[in-house]
Amino acid sequence: MDVDAVVLGSGLTESITAAALSKAGYKVAHLDVNPYYGGDNASLTVDELVTWADERAGDAPSTSYVSAQRSKYTSISKSGSSPPQSRQYSISLSPTIIPSIGPLIDALIASGVSRYGGFKLLEKVAIYTGPGSVKPVPGSKEDVFKNKELSLLEKRRLMRFLMFAAGDFEGKKELESKEDSPFIEFLRDVFSLDGQTAAAIAYALAFCTSATEPTLPSLQRIRKYLRSTGRYGPSPFLVGHYGGLGEIAQGFCRTAAVSGAAYILAHNISSIHTVGDGEADRKYKIGLEGLEETITCDLLVSSSGYPSPEEPSTGADTSGSSTSSTSYHVARAVAIIDRPLTFSSPPEGATDLFVSEEAEEELAEGEQPPTRQELDTALLVFPPSSLPGGSSQAAANALVTSEGSMSAPKGKWILYLSLPLLDATTASAEALLRPYLDATLTLAVPDATSPAPPKPLFAVFYIEHPDAPAAAPSPSVLRAPPSSTLISEQADSATANAEALFWKAAEALGAAGIRPKRTPEAEGEEVEVDVDSFWPPLDMIDDPSEDW
Amino acid sequence: MADGASGSAERSVQVKLVLLGEAAVGKSSVVLRFVSNEFQANKEPTIGAAFLTQKCRLEDRVLRYEIWDTAGQERFHSLAPMYYRNAQAAVVVYDVTKASSLDKAKTWVKELQRQANPNIVIALAGNKVDLVQPSSSSPAASPTPESEDEADDATATPGEAPASGEAESLRQVPREEAEAYAQEAGLLFFETSAKTGEGVVELFTEIAKKIPIDQILASARGNTGRTGAAGSRAAGQEGGVNLEENAAKGKESCNC
Repeated sequence: MDVDAVVLGSGLTESITAAALSKAGYKVAHLDVNPYYGGDNASLTVDELVTWADERAGDAPSTSYVSAQRSKYTSISKSGSSPPQSRQYSISLSPTIIPSIGPLIDALIASGVSRYGGFKLLEKVAIYTGPGSVKPVPGSKEDVFKNKELSLLEKRRLMRFLMFAAGDFEGKKELESKEDSPFIEFLRDVFSLDGQTAAAIAYALAFCTSATEPTLPSLQRIRKYLRSTGRYGPSPFLVGHYGGLGEIAQGFCRTAAVSGAAYILAHNISSIHTVGDGEADRKYKIGLEGLEETITCDLLVSSSGYPSPEEPSTGADTSGSSTSSTSYHVARAVAIIDRPLTFSSPPEGATDLFVSEEAEEELAEGEQPPTRQELDTALLVFPPSSLPGGSSQAAANALVTSEGSMSAPKGKWILYLSLPLLDATTASAEALLRPYLDATLTLAVPDATSPAPPKPLFAVFYIEHPDAPAAAPSPSVLRAPPSSTLISEQADSATANAEALFWKAAEALGAAGIRPKRTPEAEGEEVEVDVDSFWPPLDMIDDPSEDW
Repeated sequence: MADGASGSAERSVQVKLVLLGEAAVGKSSVVLRFVSNEFQANKEPTIGAAFLTQKCRLEDRVLRYEIWDTAGQERFHSLAPMYYRNAQAAVVVYDVTKASSLDKAKTWVKELQRQANPNIVIALAGNKVDLVQPSSSSPAASPTPESEDEADDATATPGEAPASGEAESLRQVPREEAEAYAQEAGLLFFETSAKTGEGVVELFTEIAKKIPIDQILASARGNTGRTGAAGSRAAGQEGGVNLEENAAKGKESCNC
C-alpha cells in the first residue's frame, strides 16, 4: 500500500488529523495497535477496561507500545468484580465535558461528523463545600439572579464580574498588570469576591487546577463557557454519547474512511524503515505483524508511544519532562455504582436550591413533589482543602454519566474522579482518590433499606502521566502534541492540536511535491486541488437531509 | 405526497441499516440500485457518502432508511462499534459466484449477533445472480431499464454476459444451501442483482415489513416527544442534542 500519509494511533487528535487529511484529498492509512478505536481517549466496555488495566499493570515482556503505556499509566489497581452486561458500558479513558462553542464543535459540524454522534447536556455543576454539602454553581447571569442563597451585595458583585468576564476584557484597566497574578487574588482585589463565591468561580467556572493559576487564561475560559451557555441549552457543556471522545474519534475515523482512508487496527508495528536518500525522496516503509503487505508513505504522523523510524544521525529528544502548563499528572478513578447521585439537600432541608425549573412547574401543577433530583450527567468540583484527606493544593472533580449519555445500562452510573498531581507523590492512585470517592458516594440517593452510602460495584484506579512533547527526528515525521488535561478543555485542545498538525502535514507534503487529489462531483477524473481550509465544504451528497 | 410534510412525518420512522460482506461482493452497488436505481459496472471500492437515505413506503407508513456503507473499514476487521450502534437492520451480502464470500457472510452474521442490537433484522443477499442466469431469462420483474452503464466493461467481474450454457456453471453457492443457512439462522433471504435490479426492491421492502415500526415510534416519542419530524437525526431519536441546530450561532465564534 502506497499512501501520502500514515497516521499512527487513533486518539482524538490523530483521528481528526486523519479525517482532515483524507477529506482534503490526501491518501491516508490510519493504524492503531489496539483492537479498539480511540487510543488513550478510547471508550471501552468493562471487559476491555479490565484487559486494558491488566496489560498496563503487568510486567510480562511486551511490545514497545505496551512498554510506553506502562510508563504513561502507573499505580493501577482494581477493586470489586466487573459487573455483567459489560458491553452496555462505554467507559472513557478521557472523561471530558465539551464546551458548546469551540474548536471541537466547529470541527464536528464542518466535517459532518456531528451526524454520527449524539450528545447530552451536562445537567449540573456543583461545588463541594464540606461533608455531605454541595452547592450549585450558577452557570449564567440568570442563575445568579435566581439564586436564593447569595446576598444582594454578593449578587451585585458577582453580576459585575460576570459582565466583565463575558466581555472583551483584554486591555481593560481592571486587568492591567494582573494578567499573570493568581486568579483567586484578582477576584478578591478587583471584584471583592472571596470565600465560597471566589472558589466557585475559580474552580467550577474556570476549572482552575490550583490557587496559583494565572488570571488571563482563567478569564478566557470563563468567557468561552459563558458564551457557550444557551447554544444548546442552559448548560455550556455537552457530554458525548457512548463515552464521549472515544466515540467522537470513531466518527472522525469513519469520515476519513468514507473519503478513502484505509484502516488497520490491532496490528503491532514490526518495523519502520526509512527508504530513499536525502530529504527530497525520503519515504517510510512500515511493516505490520501478521500482515504481508507493507505500507509506504511520505509523511508519518504519530501519537506518543509509537515507534519512530530509526534515524542514525539525529539523536532522539528524550529530554522531555517539560510539559505545557495545562498538562498534569492526573490520578484517576472509574467506579461503577448502582445508585444515582443527587446534589439536592434532603427533602426536610430548609432550602432546596436544586429543584429544576421543570420540577418547579410540576410542583405548581400540583403533581407529586420531587424528592431529590437524581442526576444522570453531572459534575462535582472539590476545591483544594475542601476535603479532609484530600489535596490541599489541587482541585479535583467527579463526573457522573449514565443511561442518558448511552454510557451505562439503566440503573447504573459511571463515576470518574480526576485529581491533578501538582507535586511528585509516592501515594497510590487509590490512596489519593479514596477520600474523594467516599465523599462523592455520600451524595447517593439513600436506599430505602440501607441508609449507608453505596459501595462501588467495580472500580479502577490509576495515575496518568502526560505525554512528553518529543521533538520529531525529521520534518516528515510529525508528533501529535499532548492535549490539556483540564476536563473542560481537553476536547478543544486536542482539536486545536489536530488543526495545527494538519497544516504542518500539508506543508511537509507540499514540500515533498505532493498535492491532494479530489474527484469533483461532476466527472470521475481525479484532479489536484489546493488545501485552503481545515475542512473542505461538505458535499451535497454528504447531506442526507433532502426534503421529501 | 398529498398529505404534506407534517402528516407523513407523523407516520415516518427512520431506520438505520448497515451493510456487511466481503470486499467486491457488490454491497454499494445493491444500495445504489435501491437508492438511485443506477448501476455502475466498474465501480471503484467505496469512497463517497457518509450514508445514503431512501424512503420505503409500506401501506400507510413511510420508512426512511439511513443506509451505512462500511467505507472499506471491514477490510482489516476495523469496523468501529459505532457502525453497529442502533442499527435496526442489516444486509449481509455475498457473491453467488464465490463460495468463500458466503463463509465470510456467516462470520458477519455472527459479528452482528454479538455486537448489534438484539432485535436487529438481518437479511442475507446473494448478489450477482445475473451472472448465473441464462441471458434470455433476464427477469421481467426487473423494475429498471438498464440502458446505460453497460458498455466499456472490459475489466469488470469476469464472466460478464456469459453464454447461456455456461451461466449456471459460474454459480458456486447453490440457492438451496444459502437459503437453508438463512432459515436456520433466522435471516431473510434473497438473491439479487444490482446490475438488473432483480430482488433489490423486494429485499428492502421485506426488511421494512419486519421492522417493529410501532415500537420504534413509541420509544422515540417517549424519549424526545418529537422524533420523526423532518431533519431528525440518530442523535435526535435518543433525546440528545442536535449540534447543527444552532450552527449559525457557532460561526460567529469560529475563526475560519
